[in-house]
Amino acid sequence: MLIYRPARRLLLLLSFAATVGRVSAQPLPEGPIGAFDGRVVVRGEVIAAGSSADDIAYFNYTDYEHNALRMVRLGVSGVYRPASWLAFVGEVRSEDLQHPTAYAAYARVRPWRNRPLDIQAGRIPPVFGAFGRRIYGNGNPVIGYPLAYQYLTSLRPDAIPATADDLLRMRARGWRSNFPVGSTAPGPGMPLVSAFQWDTGVQVSWKSGALDLAGAVTNGTLSNPRMSDNNDGKQLSARVAVTPTVGLILGASAARGSWLSRTVTPGAEPAQRALGADLEYSRDHWIVRGEAVWSRFAFPTVLAPSTSRAVDAMATWIDGRYRVTPRIFLGARADRLSFSELQGSTATLPWDAPVTRLEWGAGYFIQRNFILRVTAQSNRRDAGRVRNRTYIAGQLAYWF
Amino acid sequence: MMTERMGLIVTLAFGLAVWPVGGGHATDAAAAANGTIRGRVELRQAAPDPGPQAGVADIGMNAAHGPTDRRSVVYLDPAPRAAFDAREDLRPRMDQRNETFVPHVLAIVAGTTVDFPNSDHTYHNVFSLSKTRSFDLGRYAVGRSKSVRFDRPGIVRVFCDIHSHMSAFILVFAHRYFSVADVDGSYRLEGVPPGTYTVMAWNESAPLESRRVVVPDAGGEIEMNFSLGRR
Repeated sequence: MLIYRPARRLLLLLSFAATVGRVSAQPLPEGPIGAFDGRVVVRGEVIAAGSSADDIAYFNYTDYEHNALRMVRLGVSGVYRPASWLAFVGEVRSEDLQHPTAYAAYARVRPWRNRPLDIQAGRIPPVFGAFGRRIYGNGNPVIGYPLAYQYLTSLRPDAIPATADDLLRMRARGWRSNFPVGSTAPGPGMPLVSAFQWDTGVQVSWKSGALDLAGAVTNGTLSNPRMSDNNDGKQLSARVAVTPTVGLILGASAARGSWLSRTVTPGAEPAQRALGADLEYSRDHWIVRGEAVWSRFAFPTVLAPSTSRAVDAMATWIDGRYRVTPRIFLGARADRLSFSELQGSTATLPWDAPVTRLEWGAGYFIQRNFILRVTAQSNRRDAGRVRNRTYIAGQLAYWF
Repeated sequence: MMTERMGLIVTLAFGLAVWPVGGGHATDAAAAANGTIRGRVELRQAAPDPGPQAGVADIGMNAAHGPTDRRSVVYLDPAPRAAFDAREDLRPRMDQRNETFVPHVLAIVAGTTVDFPNSDHTYHNVFSLSKTRSFDLGRYAVGRSKSVRFDRPGIVRVFCDIHSHMSAFILVFAHRYFSVADVDGSYRLEGVPPGTYTVMAWNESAPLESRRVVVPDAGGEIEMNFSLGRR
């Protein structure tokens, strides 16, 4: 029987929500499932979110097909630890019940038993920033993602503008932009940092006391993590985090990698450079987090009539959670994504339309690892067909 | 989940134990000697430790702490009437050390206040969503301690909001006839008046088991061993 996608999504949400009523009678697993004397551990995640439809503003799209506020995500991860110094980690995810994809697949090696140094190789966790390194289900105070990690700018790895006007014409069209150089077919743009894919490469991390260091060499870039390389340049990324006092974490990140496909710029390797700063402070029933990401995208040629060969973007946000009772919490995030100015033939404008987002709401712990969230998300964009849009969203997030 | 189902059974048993039905089973305690029920609780299959997972960067890491000390608890159900007479004024503690609750299993009498000191150089956030007693102590640093009073019998699951691998159990009884088994599984219930009782053995990773026992008028020691979990 043919079931159209919105109806199918609604059915899925309803069936998932129906399980809530059964929880008190037969609680869901509260922790990972272990086997073979703990050498194999399986974890899972089910997230079902729903909100009013958005087929015109695309504020929350993660690519051309998926909306972060209207998504059913299933994830299963497994860890096989054949020895104390070696672990194999894999995770498979499916969004909106589409084909499952390998989100993570890496080997983790600790060469010295008494030194907190780990080497990971394969499709590895992100090094850059703080948001991508947290478990989404419990780590996100609201439903939506920070703009830097989700909002699609008009830039694409497989197509570039020939002039500044080509880029300015695509303002607020990151969900489906097109440019004259490279692939001319319309396609989704990229966020500053992708939270929906992990990159492939090698990572070294060292954690001791108040200091946490990590560095990685990977195939893709922050905006476009990849399984296989699409150019001849690798990305280098690093993060340092310190805990000067209990409850306060300060982090700084940097990354540089070739962001354009070799089909667009054979022989040239313009880079995406990014810097990040993050902080987390918690006390009693409060937790406050803030993060700033600056990213520069270089082009192989000048974007005439301007003299610029690069464009910048800056995202900053702050979010917080307050636990009112053991089961109820309040959460909010204020978020801003802005872009550098670019001189076109008729005007000088930010190269993409700046976006401001406010999201606030409440959550209820049905079980320790099963949360119901309801939020209101208000978006304002400085250009585009739809400039303001508010969404009411609900989400059930369960993980074990 | 099996553990939760057991929790429901145990909670019910604890609830019933509030009512002193010992008069129907136990003989006149003044004319008889008290007995001791002792033995061992063996766990056929230990549950594996999942290891820490505070963030995605920690997936696959080895546990920073030792294996969880999943001790069993043996108790009478129902308890003799005398069990409800005297109350000891104890102040037990459940420490947070090396990202572990110590002890992992704590058994107390209803009305007891438990201290939750933080002995780690990191924040912890002790909380429970259990119906028996829900609480959230918030985040507090090393050297500080917060406390919770447990007034209702039942099982309380305790967690840390920051470290998902941290968990513990507090079993709240309406009487004093319970014993937390040693590391080797041995337990001892002393001062049990003559009578017929049901002895229950609980462990978080196995279904609850029960046995009938008769403490004779002459008192003495009665050995009773349990083997919990699937064969």
